[in-house]
Amino acid sequence: MATREPETGWHGENSDVNHLRGRAFEATCLAATAFGLVSVLLLLLFVANDAFRPFSADAGWLATYAATVVVPLAALAVYYYRLDEPAGEVAYVTSGLPVVGLLLTGGFAVLFIELLSVLEWFALLISLVVAGGLIVAHGRLRPKAALERLAVVFLSPVITMFGLPPTRFNWFVTDTAAALGLDFGLYYRVISLREAILMLPFVPTDWVMLLLTLVLPIAGAAGWFVEKRRESRRDGLAVVGMTTVVAVLGLVAGPLLGIGTEVWLLLVTFAALPLGVYVEGVIRRSEGVRGLAFPVVAVLGVAAGAVATSALGFAGPNPWLDWGFLTSATSRTAADAGIYPAMVGSVMMIIVIVLTTFPVGVGAAIYLEEYAPSQGLMGKFVTLIEINIGNLAGVPSVVYGLLGLALFIRVLQWPQGSIIVAGLAVGLLILPIVIISAQEAIRSVPDSFRQASYGMGATRWQTIRQVVLPEALPGILTGTILALGRAIGETAPLLMIGAAASVRLAPNSFFDVASMMPRQIFSWSSELDPAFRHGVLAAGVITLLAVLLVMNATAIVIRNRYQRTG
Amino acid sequence: MTENEMTSNDSTEPTPTTETAASSPDPSGDPLIEQSIDVEGTGDTAGETGKPVIESRDLNVFYGETQALQGIDLAIPEKQVTAMIGPSGCGKSTFLRCINRMNDLIDAARVEGDLYFEGKNVYDADVDPVALRRRIGMVFQHPNPFPKSIYDNVAYGLRIQDQTENIDEKVETALKRAALWDEVKDQLDKSALDLSGGQQQRLCIARAIAVDPDVILMDEPASALDPIATSKIEDLIEELAEEFTVVIVTHNMQQAARISDKTAVFLTGGELVEFDDTDKIFENPDSQRVEDYITGKFG
Repeated sequence: MATREPETGWHGENSDVNHLRGRAFEATCLAATAFGLVSVLLLLLFVANDAFRPFSADAGWLATYAATVVVPLAALAVYYYRLDEPAGEVAYVTSGLPVVGLLLTGGFAVLFIELLSVLEWFALLISLVVAGGLIVAHGRLRPKAALERLAVVFLSPVITMFGLPPTRFNWFVTDTAAALGLDFGLYYRVISLREAILMLPFVPTDWVMLLLTLVLPIAGAAGWFVEKRRESRRDGLAVVGMTTVVAVLGLVAGPLLGIGTEVWLLLVTFAALPLGVYVEGVIRRSEGVRGLAFPVVAVLGVAAGAVATSALGFAGPNPWLDWGFLTSATSRTAADAGIYPAMVGSVMMIIVIVLTTFPVGVGAAIYLEEYAPSQGLMGKFVTLIEINIGNLAGVPSVVYGLLGLALFIRVLQWPQGSIIVAGLAVGLLILPIVIISAQEAIRSVPDSFRQASYGMGATRWQTIRQVVLPEALPGILTGTILALGRAIGETAPLLMIGAAASVRLAPNSFFDVASMMPRQIFSWSSELDPAFRHGVLAAGVITLLAVLLVMNATAIVIRNRYQRTG
Repeated sequence: MTENEMTSNDSTEPTPTTETAASSPDPSGDPLIEQSIDVEGTGDTAGETGKPVIESRDLNVFYGETQALQGIDLAIPEKQVTAMIGPSGCGKSTFLRCINRMNDLIDAARVEGDLYFEGKNVYDADVDPVALRRRIGMVFQHPNPFPKSIYDNVAYGLRIQDQTENIDEKVETALKRAALWDEVKDQLDKSALDLSGGQQQRLCIARAIAVDPDVILMDEPASALDPIATSKIEDLIEELAEEFTVVIVTHNMQQAARISDKTAVFLTGGELVEFDDTDKIFENPDSQRVEDYITGKFG
């Protein structure tokens, strides 16, 4: 077959097709993107520079650490990127896990220092487990008594956690006890299991209680996971055994390192256990083992750098954001100022928000998506509600602050500026966002799953409980965590409800007046001393951003995991 | 199968209620629909080969203003394959969804007229559609296994209906009856979504028969599958008809001719034009329109 002489003209050599406008549009869009990203990045760099002040260090110090840490790590990173991608992932995880573990350790340490004693935690957990056990046992024994089950599900936690209010029967018990000369401090009510544990005359040491209620359950869960993954009971038991042994070693090692046995337990549980399981898995599969070099080089590099700089007499930087900043309260002098009480305030506020907004928001979303009628008058009403939820998501935050002030402080007479008021006001603010994102997640569950479930003769409740919610949960969690990220940075509502500008002591009750991170940052911004406005403020901003980053990263990890399995 | 033995009856008269109720295993404790009986509703239009288990009388369905079914009178015989054919939008799927009241889930749908299942009008006020669907299983056009393990998919119906005794055994039986056991017996913990389309559809059939219903409704069960998977499903349907009443909607006329005992032809506008033995419909239909449709002159 002879090749044909090509006909000229059709292939666009004369530019019959005009691409100019398209190209110009593309370039404009690119410029807009680049401008946005670069300006945000510059701002962050500027703030980070203020917070860490790297250039306050000697040039020699910077050079030493560049040589011992930055250069080797960069070389490794390039190597992984080019030649060994699985090792790159291993490097990423083995560097990230200890950081997350340390953050969790810090979180729990703050929890035990500020919010509840180890004994209270122990009592709380035992009561919850007993309540759960009662519910499960009832389900096993009488699986068909639906009404009774409802009562058990609601009453068991109440009885184990809060006890029963005074009734005639309790009077009788208390009076009888008093007549016999016994005083249990019952005050005419049935005390809960939790309170009973708190009253025990002899309690195990904090160390033992933590081992029982935190280390062993988490080690057990990890062991179960390993057993499932490897189909080897021996490996699962090994995980539990090793963790326990290492935890008990803390009795000796903790005091030696000067960190206390309790902190040792937290470290073992949150940092060492996950890292150990992961590293062991990497070595066993011998996939990307070279990635393990990354954290080792990082640690060795830092150590070598420390030795070298002290030997050569180089002075390090003097950052605003340092350990002292994270662990002390604010002060009149910028050098001593810290963010610790505000951080505790923010965390406690988030706890209030999670406990109130999550159930209300998800409940509303489930109703609107699964139960609410879409036709007729009621359907129109529901549509109206949905539109208004969308509008509420756009209401300025200062208005929610005003609502919180009017409702919780003026009407309910709760203490002005207390954590519970702050949490509820900010919770109201993110409620529409939680509802909308949960609705999206529920809507994204394919209708064919619901059809299949109904077609099997499932009730609406069974369909929601067993098919819709498990599918929607990752999406719901992602949306909620992102909304919480917004909540932690809100400032206007805190100003309206009168949160403290700064406090010296961390709050230890939800009705305490407290400051939160954004409120504290705002009050630093109006200090006269420029060291506050430039240094301390920047350190506070970086801390807040780091917390946000961790929360958003959690959301992204959950979403990715969901996409991988779904 | 106990239920099927118990409900099969040589006589064309309605099954006496008391017998049925007494011997019916009712694990959920829900009121069963055949516990009261409407004598007028059954018996008089029985086919030659089996007594009718589902019977519609002047059934009209509307979606908003549009009428999807027009006065359908149809009696579906027990333990046979009844096929519904017709062009797109003729209402055959709508009719199928009336039988187990899946149309209730569509807010705009409105049903008028009567539809009897084992002598009880399923649109009576005292009928719980959930209890009805526990007796009438359904397989959908696109395979829709849950994103759970293969085992959990088959066990789903057993669990929600509280039939939790011998669950392993029942899952195995259902998978064997759906001709899937040999392919999946070593990977019951694997996600059902990892199966091929044909396997997924057989899994859906296993899921439907695991709870031992009386009737299985199939809405174009093979239309999303390749020819080999389709022929497996067709073989399976013929086997299932030994124990279950199967009602299948299909737009594939050859499929209807191959597997069904009775065929109902719906034509545009939601009208039932002819309902008779499959052989008769395909060889010598009474209606000229049916003949035109079957020979491919339209549709």
